[in-house]
Amino acid sequence: MIIERSSKWEEDFINKLESDGEWDSWKLYNMSYDVVKTNLITEFSGLQSPKYLPNLTPLTHQLEAAETVIERMNGKAILADEVGLGKTIEAGLILKEYLIRGLVKKALILAPASLINQWVEELNYKFYIPVIAYKKNIQLDQYDIVVMSMDTAKKSPHREAIYAQDYDMIIIDEAHKLKNHKTKIYEFVQSLKKKFCLLLTATPIQNDVFELFYLISLLKPGHLGNYEMFQSSFSASKHDLEHDEYLRELVNQVMVRNRRQDTGIEWTNRQVQIIPIQFTDEEREVYNLILDLKDVSSAFSGAFSMITLQKEMCSSKEATYLTLNNMRQNCGDQEEEDHVEGVIQKLMALEVNSKAEKTYEIISKTTDKVIIFTEYRASQAYLQWYLNSKGITSVLFNGKFKKSKRDYMKHLFKEHAQVLIATEAGGEGINLQFCHHVINYDLPWNPMKLEQRIGRVHRLGQEHDVQIYNLVTDNTIEKDILDMLYVKIDVFEKVVGELDDILSAL
Amino acid sequence: MFPQQVHSYLRDFFLENDCHIVNESDHYITVQLSIDMDKRIMNRPFYWRYLESTNGVPCPAQLTLITDQTKLDGNIKGEVVHFGSPRLNQLFRATKELGAFVQMFENVNHLETKTILTPWLAVNYKVSYYCDQTKEMLYSFGLNLMTGQLLDGFQESLSEVDLVTAMPENAFELPYIIKPIRALERLNVAIENIVQQDDHTWAEEANKRWHKAQQVLEYFYDGVEDKPESYEMEKQALEEQYDPRIKIEVINGGLFYLK
Repeated sequence: MIIERSSKWEEDFINKLESDGEWDSWKLYNMSYDVVKTNLITEFSGLQSPKYLPNLTPLTHQLEAAETVIERMNGKAILADEVGLGKTIEAGLILKEYLIRGLVKKALILAPASLINQWVEELNYKFYIPVIAYKKNIQLDQYDIVVMSMDTAKKSPHREAIYAQDYDMIIIDEAHKLKNHKTKIYEFVQSLKKKFCLLLTATPIQNDVFELFYLISLLKPGHLGNYEMFQSSFSASKHDLEHDEYLRELVNQVMVRNRRQDTGIEWTNRQVQIIPIQFTDEEREVYNLILDLKDVSSAFSGAFSMITLQKEMCSSKEATYLTLNNMRQNCGDQEEEDHVEGVIQKLMALEVNSKAEKTYEIISKTTDKVIIFTEYRASQAYLQWYLNSKGITSVLFNGKFKKSKRDYMKHLFKEHAQVLIATEAGGEGINLQFCHHVINYDLPWNPMKLEQRIGRVHRLGQEHDVQIYNLVTDNTIEKDILDMLYVKIDVFEKVVGELDDILSAL
Repeated sequence: MFPQQVHSYLRDFFLENDCHIVNESDHYITVQLSIDMDKRIMNRPFYWRYLESTNGVPCPAQLTLITDQTKLDGNIKGEVVHFGSPRLNQLFRATKELGAFVQMFENVNHLETKTILTPWLAVNYKVSYYCDQTKEMLYSFGLNLMTGQLLDGFQESLSEVDLVTAMPENAFELPYIIKPIRALERLNVAIENIVQQDDHTWAEEANKRWHKAQQVLEYFYDGVEDKPESYEMEKQALEEQYDPRIKIEVINGGLFYLK
């Protein structure tokens, strides 16, 4: 084995002797020796980082996760704790450990734009890791640790600037954004050298098991075999339990996943209810008219747009109108257009929104704060108007808000309004432990989105049981969505592990 | 290192480097830096270059360091310093540079007879083992420049000895038989021997992990004729991650004249 050493001290010492120069202070000499002795890393195993972090008290599961990643997974892992258990803390501990041990000098952290400031603050103030948020004029070679948004990183000239660096560690937050291997960001990360690498996501599978394959293939190509092999062994069509267990074991070699109940912390419960909604006769009539549109005009033949319309019709007439009106313009002739116009008129004549009424009923039973999640901006605006007419104050929230506006909205919700109405994009990066009622006004296709939503309130600091209301309109597409959610949850649990309740048990 | 230890470390460090203490409690310290210390730790080379080229009056900075913010009363503004903070790490590095070479004599002035002092060469080494993990060891060697006798734990043995920077009046030194440059060579051989004879299972284990990871990678690209760039990239990353290396560093050392 090669032994690295430098003869610089020796040469300087001999020079000093020969030139009869001045000697250094005995006190500093001793201090220097003592510092090395105090900081000495005497064991390969064990964490050094906690003793360098006097102002941070990591939780046991966080320390264990950091240790597991370093000692058993050799610094390449997916951190997949449930939402709200502190994946950032775990990543910080691991990065700090490698910095102390001299194994990492340069590190790159990729995160969604909305979470960049949070990363910079946590690393600087909790971990004393000097880190900056990347901006246009920053020279990457002058900063060892940089946080950057994925969207920036994948684009020229930033991409090339990153490739020109020699990073020892790559950390990717919200790594489920890499589930699709055909995207630019996936390609970008694939071509990045990953000596040590952490992928952070509470939801390593959102829709199917291939997402996990691609995620792990970024981290450790070959760990799940190559694509052909994986497909033939594990694809959904050939489902059997033995394979699932084998796959789960392979996955566990590269993934740490803590569940709330493993943390030794007292967690409040989740109480999940499915609230069935019955359309009024008028609503049902319009829903059926919409279903029939595919026979009226080729503009409605696309499965995707029909599904969208049905979902919107379950949400609000306002959401439905926008799409329907757009599609009307694609109709082939006047007759088709008139037909659609007729449907629109029936739609706009609706006076009752059964789901909104149910929502009001739920809210009016409590004086506590309530969050409503909807998929549509139009429904969001409608709900605010409708609740206001019933004397209930609400604030709106969506993911496009800048940090200062998010903080302000959160403040308004906490201090002044009873209800927060958020669109899908509002799910990430906001913590609302002071609230414990979540109404899923519309259901997403992806169960992990539900988990992310609930995770906004069911996290450290929540003192009450969390009430979750999933609204499902009878005999509509929402029933299909619900069934699909159960199937996807099943795949997730077979491969990744148990999932906290997001739907009520079947 | 607890806040109290950090505090006394800072105190010792600045006093030893001719920076005087302007203000202090048990939980913070304000020091007037010397010109040399300002240049060394304040990171403002342009100021000093400007000042020197214009013959201006140097105005080295004052620095307030807070060692225990939780116990601070009053409105003290300053930098919070604790074990692990960048400022303390910087001062550790400065300490290493400023305490690298010494020449010390055992104080024998209280003795009645003239005393002979024997020269020793001391070197403190830090040995590091690196792969995807690290381990460090400290060796403190002293070599008797008359007899060639080698001691480990030399630094610790000095803690009982009263040392001064100049030859005591009633002492005289023996001229060394072994030249320091030859002594250094001997110490280098000694440290390398220790390293070579150490148990290197860790390196074998690291190589095994490396080999296994490499096999997994090969499997992924099995049957691919023209392997893409990402294959080479991964291969390179595995080497950097696992390849076992050993590093020997000198912390400091010097000449000691002992009874």
